[in-house]
Amino acid sequence: MGILSTHKVLIVEDSRATRELLAAALSGLDGVEVHTAVSGFEALKVLPRHRFALIITDINMPDINGLELINFVKKNPHYKETPLFVVTTEGRPQDRDRGLQLGASEYVVKPFEVADVSALVRRYLKLR
Amino acid sequence: MSRFAELLDCFFYRPDEEVGPFLELAPEVEGVPESVVAEVPEEFLAFELAGETYAVPIAVVREIQKVGDVTEVPRAAPNVIGLINVRGEMLPLYDVKVRLELAGQPPVVRTKKDVGRGARVVLLRDPEGDAGILVDRVQGVVKLALSRLESAPNLGLERDAVAGIGRKDGRLFILLDLEQALS
Amino acid sequence: MAPPRALEEFVTEANEILETLSRELFVLDQQRGKEPDPDRLNAVFRGAHSLKGLAAMFGVDRLSRLAHRAEDALDALRLGKVPLDDRMIDTLIETLDMLQAMLARVSAGTSAPDLEVGADHLQDRLAELAKGRSLPAGDLLEQVGIDPQIRAVFTEYEEHRLRENVKKGVGLWKVRAVFGLDDFDTKLAALNARLKPLGEVVSTLPSSRPGDEASIAFDLVFGSGQSKSAIEAALDGATLSTLTTREGPVEVTPPPGPALSLPPQPRSPVPRPAPRWDDVSGSGLTPLAEPTSTSGLRLSPESSLRSLTQTVRVDIGRLDALMNSIGELLLIRSNINRLAESARQVGSGVALPKLWGQELQREARALERKLDELQKGVLDVRMVPLGQVFDKLTRLMRRLVRESGKDVDFAVSGGDVELDKLIVEELSDPLMHLLRNALDHGIEPPEVRRLHHKPSRGTIRLKAREQGNQVQLEVGDDGGGMDESRIRQVAVERGVATEEQTREMDRRDLLNLVFLPGFSTREDVSELSGRGVGLDVVKTNLARLSGLIDIDSRRGDGTTFTLTLPLTLAIIRALMVSVSGRTYAVPLSAVMEIASVRHADLQTIERREVFEVRGQTLPFVRLARVFRLPEVERERSFVVLVGLAQQRIGLAVDELIGQEDIVTKPLSGRLRAIPGVSGATELGDRRAVLVLDIGALMEELSRPQAAAS
Repeated sequence: MGILSTHKVLIVEDSRATRELLAAALSGLDGVEVHTAVSGFEALKVLPRHRFALIITDINMPDINGLELINFVKKNPHYKETPLFVVTTEGRPQDRDRGLQLGASEYVVKPFEVADVSALVRRYLKLR
Repeated sequence: MSRFAELLDCFFYRPDEEVGPFLELAPEVEGVPESVVAEVPEEFLAFELAGETYAVPIAVVREIQKVGDVTEVPRAAPNVIGLINVRGEMLPLYDVKVRLELAGQPPVVRTKKDVGRGARVVLLRDPEGDAGILVDRVQGVVKLALSRLESAPNLGLERDAVAGIGRKDGRLFILLDLEQALS
Repeated sequence: MAPPRALEEFVTEANEILETLSRELFVLDQQRGKEPDPDRLNAVFRGAHSLKGLAAMFGVDRLSRLAHRAEDALDALRLGKVPLDDRMIDTLIETLDMLQAMLARVSAGTSAPDLEVGADHLQDRLAELAKGRSLPAGDLLEQVGIDPQIRAVFTEYEEHRLRENVKKGVGLWKVRAVFGLDDFDTKLAALNARLKPLGEVVSTLPSSRPGDEASIAFDLVFGSGQSKSAIEAALDGATLSTLTTREGPVEVTPPPGPALSLPPQPRSPVPRPAPRWDDVSGSGLTPLAEPTSTSGLRLSPESSLRSLTQTVRVDIGRLDALMNSIGELLLIRSNINRLAESARQVGSGVALPKLWGQELQREARALERKLDELQKGVLDVRMVPLGQVFDKLTRLMRRLVRESGKDVDFAVSGGDVELDKLIVEELSDPLMHLLRNALDHGIEPPEVRRLHHKPSRGTIRLKAREQGNQVQLEVGDDGGGMDESRIRQVAVERGVATEEQTREMDRRDLLNLVFLPGFSTREDVSELSGRGVGLDVVKTNLARLSGLIDIDSRRGDGTTFTLTLPLTLAIIRALMVSVSGRTYAVPLSAVMEIASVRHADLQTIERREVFEVRGQTLPFVRLARVFRLPEVERERSFVVLVGLAQQRIGLAVDELIGQEDIVTKPLSGRLRAIPGVSGATELGDRRAVLVLDIGALMEELSRPQAAAS
């Protein structure tokens, strides 16, 4: 795979262990380059530096929450086309509706099988 | 060697001390007639103890050192010659001759002056903690086919520290059972 | 279950979360009865929430379920559905203990069937606590007219906080601030810090600015009772506008609901016989309350406050400094290589220029300096603040105090003092033991204290301070103090000392008798005192850390234990001695004094050699004999006095060589069991020298059979 066909994926997750688990799984995918952010703020800083093919974010985080991050991404002309997955423990229907209404493409409730998320990512990146 | 090189020599760790014998003495693989299944022979380090040739698998040999200062360890097991400092690591030096009934009691070794010119410390890897054994001379690396090893003949001696016997070119290699030898 | 490496990651992070939880809960615990800081409640909630998700991800379901229940209760709490009362705080603290116990089992890879009942019980209690009133119908936020666009990104919690602000009738504002992308986080934090005294920042919404890539805008939803001009003064460039469609503060009548505070749960202390050891404290019988805990979780003898992980978290600056030292070492290496090369080219037998020698010497000195730096740097990395263990002790003490029914202040200071990670870890158990002793036996019950004209509230202090290359720790109480005559009596009864001996002792020596094995016995130790061991074990544990313990106590005024520890175990100062031509290192922390004794002056008691130093008769122990070395006939020996108080012995050696800073290395696994030797160190000539384990030697020599040989 050439450098041009590399898909950059941003994982925003404050739990180190979960972040590493996801990152390890996704870096295993061919042509995927994983970037991570430990908070909403760090995500805001990293976003303009790369062209991400996909963003995966947690909801409950310090500083700004995941919903605010989705809102920011989806309102910004640069990023609004970027698919965004929510990965969270908030599994109530109203949480899910909110995430999807704000523009998330997928809403994954923890605990999840890393392989499932991995498959989902593969599917999304190929679609594009 | 110049005076200064000598000075630096005792200051720095010399790589030749650990690999020297391996490279110089490793014999070529014999022209074994092609059998049905070609067996890859194992490498063993061969060394001399009281005139007999013993061997341990190369895989457990960490390095080979000249004998330096050895510190006596009071109240240690009788086969412990003492403590040696291997670049900051404190490792026990064992005598295996008593265990093999090659000697009555372990030698008292405190400095290199207490041993012969050829004597070396063979440092062995061991899950219970690495340890050194004192040998009279290192002979080199010998390749022995595992399938052709014999068990030790019963000579009426209690030599349970012997794992087996290997033969090559008419020479006899006694394979050491390390766990027993160091116990 | 996740693979071991991942599980390790899980344990480390879960442990960090529990530590944070413990800190925040501790503050809530201390501020019982006060209106809790919403940020703090939210932090505790977030901790439980993160732990639930984390444990679920790693398949640790039992832990995840309990964390989930705690999260539910905390969610109800932060959303104002239930009050923060004593019952809630106690249950949360017990839950924290349980979570810690569960994590310890996960870390050890063992199952925890014995924790099941307690965990189930806690889950039920948490579920009960989470049941609160439902939120009032008719949304206040619609009444005040807030932009639904903004509300769309609010979490339930943020909505709740907004609602609380509306209820308080304060003004709701929108603060817009624009910052550069590279430093917005610090700028935003500064803005938040300025706003916090004026009100509450409910939410922070980032928004992009079209056409401006280098900056980012934030809308802060801010509730404040202050005037517009007062808020604007704090803004420093940010703009202020009203959030609501109505100008100025909003007036809303809060809906009727149950009062937010419940009366605290009554406690009924059940008196029970006090332990006998307690007699020494001179305070008579101490009524102790039965623990109110119903979770079934007690500290079992094997439970410990030690961390679950071997990890040291390191300030990146310290690692950078190490990296720098290594860079400079590499430079020196290339210089030495260059010198060696030029020496080689000149060839043997030819005198080298003097300049060459000077250059080599300079490099050698630089090498030495840099190596020292590197060594110091690595030691720095091992240092952790004592606060890590103090926090845990504080939490446990709070619980024990609550359970004891006594009225006690626990004052901690010096948590910022740093010590070697290894020492800090090993310290927690001895400190806990001393603290429990202070609580059980030191502090008198309130009525006794009042009788003695002391404040009914007792104080237990834990204090640390650095002194040169040592750290001093003090565990003190203002309780009844120790009764010297009672100590004397117990010591004689238990055969620790003869009546005559005790009469000759000064106060300090007498007090130090409590450290002797056999002084306090297993049956005497109360359940609260814990582990069924006496102060002798505390002392032995400290000796293993090259530490010393001393005691000071005055009838009626209290007891203070002073622990002196080296900053690090990695480098200790040692006295080098020589016996029968062998060199040994004696840790200086164990050396009390040095004397020279003529063999002609030696006497024997039951064929054991003794000598006299300033009126005191002490055992004369020939190290050569202990180690079965050939003895050299001589007229006098140097005696190294080691130990404490009555347990002092004189270790006879041939010569004193001097003091050295040594790095003690453990012996290889095969030699670990050598008695009386704690490790080895290398001297300048790279020779290995054994380091004596004074604690073990003294223990060995105090056993009768060893002394006879």
